[in-house]
Amino acid sequence: MTYYVFTLVFFLFDYFILAMGLNIQYGVTGILNFAYIGFVAVGAYVTGVAAMPSNINGEHYILGLGLPFPLNTLLGGIAAMGLSALVALITLRRLRTDYLAIVLISLSLVLYDFCNNYVSLFNGADGLYNVPEPFAQSLGLGANGFIVFFACLTGVVSLILLFVMRRVMRAPLGRTFRAVRDDHVTAAALGKDTFRMQLKAMMIGSFFAGIGGGLLIQFGGSFNPTAWLPGETFVVFAVLIVGGAGNNMGMFVGALLVETLLIHLPAFLPEIPGHPGLIEYFDLALVGIVLMVMLWVRPQGIVPERLRRTPSFGVTPKLDDEAGELDRTTALAGVKVAVAGTEEAR
Amino acid sequence: MSVVDPSRPAASTSVSPALRCEGLTKAFQGVHAVNGAAFSIPEGQITALIGPNGAGKTTVVNMLSGAMKSDSGRMFIGETETTGWPSHKVARHGLLRTFQLSRELGGLTVLENLLTAAPNQAGDSLVNVLLRPGLIERQERENAERALQLLEVYGLYRHRDTPARELSGGQKKLLEIARAVMGSPRILLLDEPMAGVNPALIDVLGGYIRDLKKDGVTILMVEHNLGVVEQICDHVIVLAEGRTLATGRLADLRQNTEVVKAYLGEVMDASSAD
Amino acid sequence: MTLFWLSFGFGLVTTSVLAIAAIGLSLQFGITNYVNFAYGDFMALGAFFAYVLNNQLLHLNIWIALPIAALLMGVFGVVINRVLLGPFARRFKSTHYVLIVTFGLSLVMLNIIYSIWGSDVRFYALPLGTAHHIGPLLLTDNQLIVMGIALALLVAVHTTLKATSLGKSMRAMSDNGTLAMTSGIDTKRITTITWFLSGALAGVAGTVLGISEGNLTPAAGELFLFVIFAAVILGGIGSIYGAMAGAVVVGMSTEISAAFINPAYKLDIAFVALILTLLIRPNGLISRPGLTT
Repeated sequence: MTYYVFTLVFFLFDYFILAMGLNIQYGVTGILNFAYIGFVAVGAYVTGVAAMPSNINGEHYILGLGLPFPLNTLLGGIAAMGLSALVALITLRRLRTDYLAIVLISLSLVLYDFCNNYVSLFNGADGLYNVPEPFAQSLGLGANGFIVFFACLTGVVSLILLFVMRRVMRAPLGRTFRAVRDDHVTAAALGKDTFRMQLKAMMIGSFFAGIGGGLLIQFGGSFNPTAWLPGETFVVFAVLIVGGAGNNMGMFVGALLVETLLIHLPAFLPEIPGHPGLIEYFDLALVGIVLMVMLWVRPQGIVPERLRRTPSFGVTPKLDDEAGELDRTTALAGVKVAVAGTEEAR
Repeated sequence: MSVVDPSRPAASTSVSPALRCEGLTKAFQGVHAVNGAAFSIPEGQITALIGPNGAGKTTVVNMLSGAMKSDSGRMFIGETETTGWPSHKVARHGLLRTFQLSRELGGLTVLENLLTAAPNQAGDSLVNVLLRPGLIERQERENAERALQLLEVYGLYRHRDTPARELSGGQKKLLEIARAVMGSPRILLLDEPMAGVNPALIDVLGGYIRDLKKDGVTILMVEHNLGVVEQICDHVIVLAEGRTLATGRLADLRQNTEVVKAYLGEVMDASSAD
Repeated sequence: MTLFWLSFGFGLVTTSVLAIAAIGLSLQFGITNYVNFAYGDFMALGAFFAYVLNNQLLHLNIWIALPIAALLMGVFGVVINRVLLGPFARRFKSTHYVLIVTFGLSLVMLNIIYSIWGSDVRFYALPLGTAHHIGPLLLTDNQLIVMGIALALLVAVHTTLKATSLGKSMRAMSDNGTLAMTSGIDTKRITTITWFLSGALAGVAGTVLGISEGNLTPAAGELFLFVIFAAVILGGIGSIYGAMAGAVVVGMSTEISAAFINPAYKLDIAFVALILTLLIRPNGLISRPGLTT
């Protein structure tokens, strides 16, 4: 029983992290990253080969650094971040939305194909296995104990990452991201380097993707290409859109509903005899349908993006809400001072 | 005032022109929208860019602001050449523009629209966001104070928390200008600020624009409404068929046969509003 | 019979399959202005319809099953557009939504195909043909028929676009949809016809892919999709002739390269071609304006 529940808990928190990553890219900045799962995979693989010792019999892979948690996972995050920067440099600068989506989904497929075939990289189609479970030995955890422990650990990591993401989204940076999403021509006309902003969003989001992937591989102890066909990106999009793109609470709700309930709960249902995998197929098809219904009926998601009210710094303009006779000269003098001031600053 | 040789920028009244262009051309699929436009904008004055439909005015504005690349020609802000600069670089150098069809950042509130325009924000850097929250908070506070005052001036204070997409057409026009002013421009390019605006608001907007001049902002406005041009502009540049036709004061230009000919088919009348 | 000429022969076949698929994709993109990410699954569904007709419920000759499957997929395309994609495209200003929907449709279709036919590999019942020596090339009957179909379809599409009023309307809509609408072109009808053609071509492409590969799997269409994308982007997205040209370049280069490098990576060569195109000439060989930022 604990096994079931805490496996669900793990996937809830892990997909919460993944959704936050895609959210900053798509929900907040408007980048349709159809290759998202590729970055998750890179994070998983790099974490794996960073964690594994230099040689395990029967497996072929690069690196093999034997690093402990959290170093190995951080490496995974950084690797994903680095790849996203490269991808952004080649694609984001030049392409508009659907063209970009095509290239990204192709990238996802090619990465998949490549990892499947190039055995010495990440052990090809078999994937990595026997990935060390963090703290399992040092804490003397059995199989069940490890699951409970790691699910909670993932929860902690997700809270830390949530804190970081909230900081970003509330800062001017988050606002600029949303400006780029709403109208990148206007954002540029206001002085924002839209490419650099998109690059930042890609990198931050991919870092989250990498961490999420790194946690995945250490939870299961293994990771192979079947885990990340391009369709898996769609599941993360479903989490986003069902929950509510653009805000972190929505990510949690989406992860709960889509990943935990829709995807993983049915995995515990008994197989229908004579039709292996049927439940899984129906399940995924259902996710697709749920998303389409959601997009039609309530595109803002269950938890819509929050309106940001004027923060109370204790700022009180001299004039009140009712339109009285405005002393425009005085108010504009304030503007003039600001204009002159920043001129000097230039 | 007489017809100026289009290839030579007109002399301006101050030391060096705030904005200058020469030999600008731009073609779209073989059709030349702009074909050798050249002019200079004097510092601290309100200049109008007028001309019949299809004269290339908005294209010129797009090129000056960096939104579009010119096929040939050069542009200068003060002494700095800005040819080929992307729009965000031009904006950071002090030239801001508004759009003929208001482009509000719909998902952001009115206040956020202005805050986005605030120049030199440390909070745009990820490093600062993670490591220097205090600095960012301080800047945000300063920017917010200024933005709220601006909103009050432009009559938008009570809508400060309204998503910009919910504003009325006239309010969006006001937001468009307020936002540009927030960016502390040295030069402001207004693309048909009076287009589609009701007469009462035209007077108000005209007043705002005149006030900006008092604050030392150089203004270039594309405008069809010659009544407005007469009232608030010091200087007029006429564009026709993609090149500079004449410059000078509106009263003088009305007597200019070339200019009148270019406008043939359009009523060149003080009472004509668009 | 050198490896090179053998690969060249394969290249011609791959090019044929690619060309059919790429044209179907381009036609639809030109009219609707968004990419159908489920196109690969359209191909797969068409291939499986042909399988049912050829080797499961019925036992028709594959060359008869093929046009029937194409017809079915044409209808499928029209229905999907009517019921799903059209409404989404009309409702939202940003294309993000309909793109996500096509992505979702892809997931749904793939899994429904898996549910019905399972993940086992299937085979068509193909007539045993003979191999023919044509110059230095060695090609079987079936390969030659596939190439013939591709050629016939290319000619048909070209003629339709250039010489018929339907073709003119399609080209007009592709250039400027709003203008076409206000010029009195029945855009709804053209859209429906385009979806029919796109679906039908996908059905043909999926089936001939199965014939040339020697087997069918549900995911084959999806995996092939990015090769189609490479061809379409190389040629210049939105241009039919670009799609044809792209099909030739990508089809030939992937197969011929397989003679020199590990054949497992030949599809990845397509991706390299795509990236190179982006870096060097992002608008493609024959480009339309307005597709890059």
